[in-house]
Amino acid sequence: MTGIPVSDIKKIIVACDAGMGSSVMLAGTLKRQLKNTGVIVEHAQVSAIPADADLILTQQSLAERARAAAPGKPVVTFQIFLGDPAVNKVVKAVKEGGTIDV
Amino acid sequence: MSDTADGLLTEQAVRFGVHAADRYDAVRQCGELLVAVGAVTEDYVPAMREREDEISTHIGAGVAIPHSTAAGKKYVRRDALAVLVLAEPVDWGEGEQVSLCVAIAALGDRHLDILAELAEVLMDPDRAEQLHLATTAGEVIRLLQPEGKAENV
Repeated sequence: MTGIPVSDIKKIIVACDAGMGSSVMLAGTLKRQLKNTGVIVEHAQVSAIPADADLILTQQSLAERARAAAPGKPVVTFQIFLGDPAVNKVVKAVKEGGTIDV
Repeated sequence: MSDTADGLLTEQAVRFGVHAADRYDAVRQCGELLVAVGAVTEDYVPAMREREDEISTHIGAGVAIPHSTAAGKKYVRRDALAVLVLAEPVDWGEGEQVSLCVAIAALGDRHLDILAELAEVLMDPDRAEQLHLATTAGEVIRLLQPEGKAENV
């Protein structure tokens, strides 16, 4: 497990299969939570992760596809959509500074 | 006029007391409601079931958000949401019970705000209960109305 400094994170991508449901909801929630931090939050299909993504959030079951689609990018996985501890940790780290374990 | 300000969720797209035999029946009825409001073509309905089979759309707090696979997007005619309030909860797998479905048809990003609002409502036990107990389309729409875009009602 390595930690990446949050100062390196400018853009977070929430990835899911269709980019229509769960990832959109989580992206919307994160956008609100990170509103004043300058970090951009977008969602994307797991097969079309933008090259300038600094951090990828995705469901556990899609982690392998995300890693294959964006080699070398840090991936944080979550299991639940509402209040997942892994997602909360990312929010807290971005707001307060520090590192994110990936 | 009590649809959401962005027009994505209309009163005609909210149904109460829906009887569903099981999870797939609920998803099918979600699809048919999206067809009925002109948001998708018939072909969207099986694509929603396919998506449900891949990964459950259950999100917690007794709510699921059925939608299609990436391949099903071509059957979307316009961005829209639909809400199905079930007469009795159905088993959504892994021991989860769902009693409210928010069905999604979307090509773009316009529904991001409503879904963010839904997430906030569901994380607030009082508002989540209000959503589950709502009996009119107006109440559901008011609860999901993104903050800062509320109408003068």
